[in-house]
Amino acid sequence: MSAVATGTPTRAAAGITLEHVTRRYGAGPGGRIAVDDLSLEIPAGQVCVLVGPSGCGKTTTLKMINRLIAPTSGRVLIDGVDAASRHLVDLRRSIGYVIQHVGLFPHLTVAENVATVPRLLGWSPARQRERTDELLALVGLDPAVDRDRYPARLSGGERQRVGVARALAADPPVLLMDEPFGAVDPIVRARLQDEFLRLQEGLARTIVFVTHDIDEAIKVGDCIAVLGVGGRLAQFGSPAEILAAPASDFVARFVGADRGLKRLSLRLVGDLDLRAASEVRPLPPMAPMLDRSTSLKDALSMLLDAGVQAGAVVDDAGAVTGLVTIDMIAASLRRSAEGAPDAG
Amino acid sequence: MLADQPLLDLGWIGAHAGDIALRTLQHLGLGAMALAVGFAVAFALAMMAAGRPRLLAPLITGAGVVYTIPSLALFAALVPFTGLSLLTAEIPLVLYTQLVLIRGISAGFAAAPPEVLEAADGLGYTRRQRFLAVELPIAIPLIVAAVRLASVSTIGLVMVVTLIGNNFGGLGLYIKEGIASFFPTKVYVGAALSVSLALASDFALARLERRLAPWAESHRDVQPGASAALAGLDPIGA
Amino acid sequence: MEILTATIAWLTTAARWQGPDGIPTRMLEHLEIAIPSVLAAALVALPVGAWIGHTGRYAAVAINVANLGRAIPSYAVLAIILPISLRFSPDLGLSVIPTFTAMWLLAIPPILIGTFAGIRAVDRDLVEAARGLGLTEVQILSEVELPLALPVVAGGLRTAAVQVIATATLGAVVAYGGLGRYIIDGIARNEDDRLMAGVVLVAGMAITAELAFALLQRALVPRGLRRVAVHAEPT
Repeated sequence: MSAVATGTPTRAAAGITLEHVTRRYGAGPGGRIAVDDLSLEIPAGQVCVLVGPSGCGKTTTLKMINRLIAPTSGRVLIDGVDAASRHLVDLRRSIGYVIQHVGLFPHLTVAENVATVPRLLGWSPARQRERTDELLALVGLDPAVDRDRYPARLSGGERQRVGVARALAADPPVLLMDEPFGAVDPIVRARLQDEFLRLQEGLARTIVFVTHDIDEAIKVGDCIAVLGVGGRLAQFGSPAEILAAPASDFVARFVGADRGLKRLSLRLVGDLDLRAASEVRPLPPMAPMLDRSTSLKDALSMLLDAGVQAGAVVDDAGAVTGLVTIDMIAASLRRSAEGAPDAG
Repeated sequence: MLADQPLLDLGWIGAHAGDIALRTLQHLGLGAMALAVGFAVAFALAMMAAGRPRLLAPLITGAGVVYTIPSLALFAALVPFTGLSLLTAEIPLVLYTQLVLIRGISAGFAAAPPEVLEAADGLGYTRRQRFLAVELPIAIPLIVAAVRLASVSTIGLVMVVTLIGNNFGGLGLYIKEGIASFFPTKVYVGAALSVSLALASDFALARLERRLAPWAESHRDVQPGASAALAGLDPIGA
Repeated sequence: MEILTATIAWLTTAARWQGPDGIPTRMLEHLEIAIPSVLAAALVALPVGAWIGHTGRYAAVAINVANLGRAIPSYAVLAIILPISLRFSPDLGLSVIPTFTAMWLLAIPPILIGTFAGIRAVDRDLVEAARGLGLTEVQILSEVELPLALPVVAGGLRTAAVQVIATATLGAVVAYGGLGRYIIDGIARNEDDRLMAGVVLVAGMAITAELAFALLQRALVPRGLRRVAVHAEPT
């Protein structure tokens, strides 16, 4: 997405700290604890995913950051400032917010929806319009065509894109996303995830992202907080750490029996210590050609498909630069399982 | 005898065009006044009851009880108290608008989907901004639908007012006189103009809605929910 | 409250409960026009409403025609029909035919819209599932849609019945009997006690019908749904 450059942040992203945050519903023994003594340090500019089964308090946690829900106890700090001490409306206007059902205003056009926060902040119409068009292009819509459409006429994927553009409109240092791709079909979801990652590469916002889908968490997250039922933090770490060394049976079950394969999807052929090209001549006749950005999971799949032990790694010009074997992929997995995190 | 007269005497219509116009305006005035007052009252009540089902339920029940009182009976019941004054005509007309209007306006206020309200809060709308810029515009189609129903039935009810006394004017007078003097032309002129007024106001309000809520997809569709909510709500005896 | 005591006195006089202008006779006349006209309206509106609700076809046309009907007040219908019906039957044409026709037309829209809305409100997935199980269209309507729609359909009938009972008062304008007689005569003779007695009797009958139908409606909610509030009632 070439437009990413236009989304370059004008403000620095902010770090978020949760200190012993608890949310209880109802007092006494009949009460229910939604979030239980949660402490998290989310570094500025990173995507942190809150993941867990339904009822684990992930959405409650998210809503305590923009104070749609007030913590029963504990503090939320944004850039070191207690969110509770900020003016509520100012706080919310400085935090982008995207929800599963998007919540586009049905009576406003796409452009008016996107310009919501700038309008509330009193930007001039010209500046609003400029920003709106810039953002629509950024999320892959055509401003000329789409700006005057009403939400009822948009597809699910388009609505999500508009929702993201609306959240980004005032260039907030923090973005909260609650199952933002939960209501679209798997193909659109995968595309939106890819676009989201490319967008974030240019924006480098601090993003808190809620999902119940562990695959999505692994794909989009720089760090992942796995929450268990009752709102307790089960594990916090990078995707690779969580896949390589689940902290408990609960986390292991939640990430699934195929976590070995999932870990392979995090590593690229280019990360391996490839065997020299000179060793590989002549190439096996059926050897697949891989480039360095292929994930190890895909590489393994291609090797198994072709029924061979080794494949050739080629550069952009098509020249063979090395060899990857099934044994090397297995060894990479073994090494990281022994405790050496293979990413980050 | 009524049966012996021609059904339509065009000469009479031509000779009485001025009088017909006057009574049409009287009819429209009586209806418009009731609708305006009724709307103001219903809007205030619906605002008060917004988000308070314990207040809304008795309001709607009360307005529903009024509905079961036949219009002729309600007009008549006021005569011993307010005589043949304008109040005798307007109080029942206003009361009869309340059920449809309170229901429609309340339904409108409740029409914004929860995710839209959550998004509005999350984006930093104040309560007041949220009401004025989000909830109110989203309520417009349902509010206008209610006003359309109320306008049609009010214009019909104005006909009945004439049965109480002649001093209010209006098109109902032609029907009364037509039956009394066995002259069908008066009956048809009164009925046709009253129906035309009702249809014209319905049409005008539909146009207004299109202007106020160009985003609504429902202009051409039938909404079973809305129809059911507002169904069968003609005041009794119109 | 002079008028109140006068009205009670009027109502409790024994002579008012006898003879051709007595209260029982007027009540009976009232019901004699109300019940047949609602039944006749149901005969038309139920099948049409069920059909457009089930197929979804011509729904916009039917609902708009029904709504258009509302623009024509019953009083106007009475007046429009009177000169014509008199030509056919100088006897019935004066009172029964205009009153019956006006009440019949009045009852059609609520029944039609109630039936349509009730059936449309049935979860379309349920209908799809029934079709998948091999039910014919008629079976889907009779086994699935109508039982679930029954409370809403009954709500439409309730509105129709209450409106007709209340509006049949206007029959007195065209020389039909019924409870409206007391109101019209009360105005004409300047007898406020007679007028108010008529008001009380008509309102009482309408409210009784309303309550009776409310009970019926509650009884018609399918058992599996009893605990869930029925929000779709149209009155």
